[in-house]
Amino acid sequence: MTDASFILATLGVLLGATGTYLLLPHRRGEAKARTLYILGGTFAALGLLGFLLLLTPPALSPLADLIAGSFFYLFAAGALGCGVMTVTSRNPVYSALWFAGVVISTAGLFLLIDAQFLAAGTIIVYAGAIIVTFLFVIMLAQMEGKAVYDRAARSPGRAVFTCFLLLWSLAYSLAALPGSHRPKEIVAGEDRLHRGRELGADFFPQSPGAVPRVVLGKALRPTSSLFVDGDPSKPKPNVAGLGESLYADHLLTVELAGSILFAALIAAVLIANPRPIGGAGKAA
Amino acid sequence: MTIWVLIGILIKILIVVGVTQGTVAYLILVERKIAAYAQDRIGPNRCGREVGVPFALLQPLADGAKMLLKEDVVPKYVTKPLYILAPWIAIATAMVGFAVVPFGPVGPNELINFQIAPNVDIGILYVMAVGSLAVYGVILAGWASNNKYAFIGGLRSSAQLISYEIPLGLSILGMVMIAGSLDLNRIIAWQDAHGWGIFYQPLAFVLFFTSAFAETNRLPFDLPESEQELVGGFHTEYSAMKFGMFFLGEYLHIITACFVTVALFFGGWDMPGLNVEQTGILWSLLKVGVFAAKVGLAILFIMWIRWTLPRFRYDQLMDLAWKSMIPLALINLVATAGVVQLVRTYWS
Repeated sequence: MTDASFILATLGVLLGATGTYLLLPHRRGEAKARTLYILGGTFAALGLLGFLLLLTPPALSPLADLIAGSFFYLFAAGALGCGVMTVTSRNPVYSALWFAGVVISTAGLFLLIDAQFLAAGTIIVYAGAIIVTFLFVIMLAQMEGKAVYDRAARSPGRAVFTCFLLLWSLAYSLAALPGSHRPKEIVAGEDRLHRGRELGADFFPQSPGAVPRVVLGKALRPTSSLFVDGDPSKPKPNVAGLGESLYADHLLTVELAGSILFAALIAAVLIANPRPIGGAGKAA
Repeated sequence: MTIWVLIGILIKILIVVGVTQGTVAYLILVERKIAAYAQDRIGPNRCGREVGVPFALLQPLADGAKMLLKEDVVPKYVTKPLYILAPWIAIATAMVGFAVVPFGPVGPNELINFQIAPNVDIGILYVMAVGSLAVYGVILAGWASNNKYAFIGGLRSSAQLISYEIPLGLSILGMVMIAGSLDLNRIIAWQDAHGWGIFYQPLAFVLFFTSAFAETNRLPFDLPESEQELVGGFHTEYSAMKFGMFFLGEYLHIITACFVTVALFFGGWDMPGLNVEQTGILWSLLKVGVFAAKVGLAILFIMWIRWTLPRFRYDQLMDLAWKSMIPLALINLVATAGVVQLVRTYWS
């Protein structure tokens, strides 16, 4: 890490911390002066700019790289900006909406590194279901007027200090890495398939070298035959690759998570049932 | 090289946006005519007669001009930023879904790929993700209007959309498993080789199409805007073009839903006599025509249903989703998975 980038990172983090502290709601939920908000917004924007300058600027020459780079900066700045707005909004409805912005920007970043399934899954699960449920609750809870505890920040100074210390150490350690790591250059290891097969062999021991003809082996076959246009040299489609990894590498984890979710589902049905269990007929 | 790809994509986007908006304008005319016939009326038949245009074909222009020229009332008591944002969300989420919808044949040997973003591996999942964002437009419109009727409409709608997304997602998985891909082009190609999806997944088709009705807020599932109880539901406070944008978004959703239905269950561009190997530009145009005709029939069916069935009661609507459609979709999913595994193990 060069001295210039070290100073830039520190300056960016300091500016961002000051700006965020000024933007955060008052400790007792009172309204702040407009000049404080303007000052805080300027500081936070300058800090964000300094932080973005730390990253490698997008290459200008092939147009595709320029577009991808610009989108990266758009989504990265969008995620950070929306994140700041999430914690600084005084109205919880706006906070939830800015959080949706964070989720969508993050999904855009996932798309840029070709993690399409993760992007779609993030949007469906978080933006499409969880945040909508939040909104639901917030809107129904606010029918009686605005509560003080919704508009006040709990110990804003300590929160800002801790978060930006973490951010600074993250920026420091990332910038200290030699060279730039691009996800493109990380070759997907073929060994994860072998590990999955070995796992199968542990449960169903066979003669060494033979492809295990167990359920696992059969489950692997259709996904691994899904090459693009039947050409094995091209990379596997996203979802097939992910499915293969899930059911070969992480088979036990997936099964365990499935069992836990199933138990949670049964529990949810029991909780939702208004009648007391066992005492059928009695009023609750 | 890249710049030409970029320009090509931009041209495709412009064509898709223009064609779909124009289609929406005429769909509204078709809807009015079907409503009129269902109620034993004549319906719009005058507009354009003076300049020699028959069948009221200028009616959509008049409707559009009316939307644009009416006074845009923004009540004083609304939460203004969200009130203005909501119709934009409604229309944007409806438009973005078209990025992965194939309008015709797509493949490496084709001269023109009739799809804005080909090679999107997750295809149908992207449509689901974007569709799940549509609920924001409705819930924000309801809340920002600061009006009881609008708020109740928004709450009903978000509950309905979230509930019906589950059977919608579960019912497509059967076809995805059979065809072995989430990409709509591959699903169409599979149906071209083996026969239409509706013959393999009839139950999934019924569940999917019913959920699509609910997702697009169409009768008999238009509880969010039921006039007798809620004035206009979530768009009670909206007027002029802001109301028009909700309307446009709803019709765009119908078009997307019909494209996905046809691609999943009716073979897309597939007809007896057409197959993947025919690549020339004439074959492509013929396939686009077949696809568009099928989608048109599906849209007509949706409009026909609207004027045939009465509206559900709200608790019936929720019972239908949670107590019958989700269990049926799960049974269908498990049965399909079992059969697919058996077939792959013993017949291939």
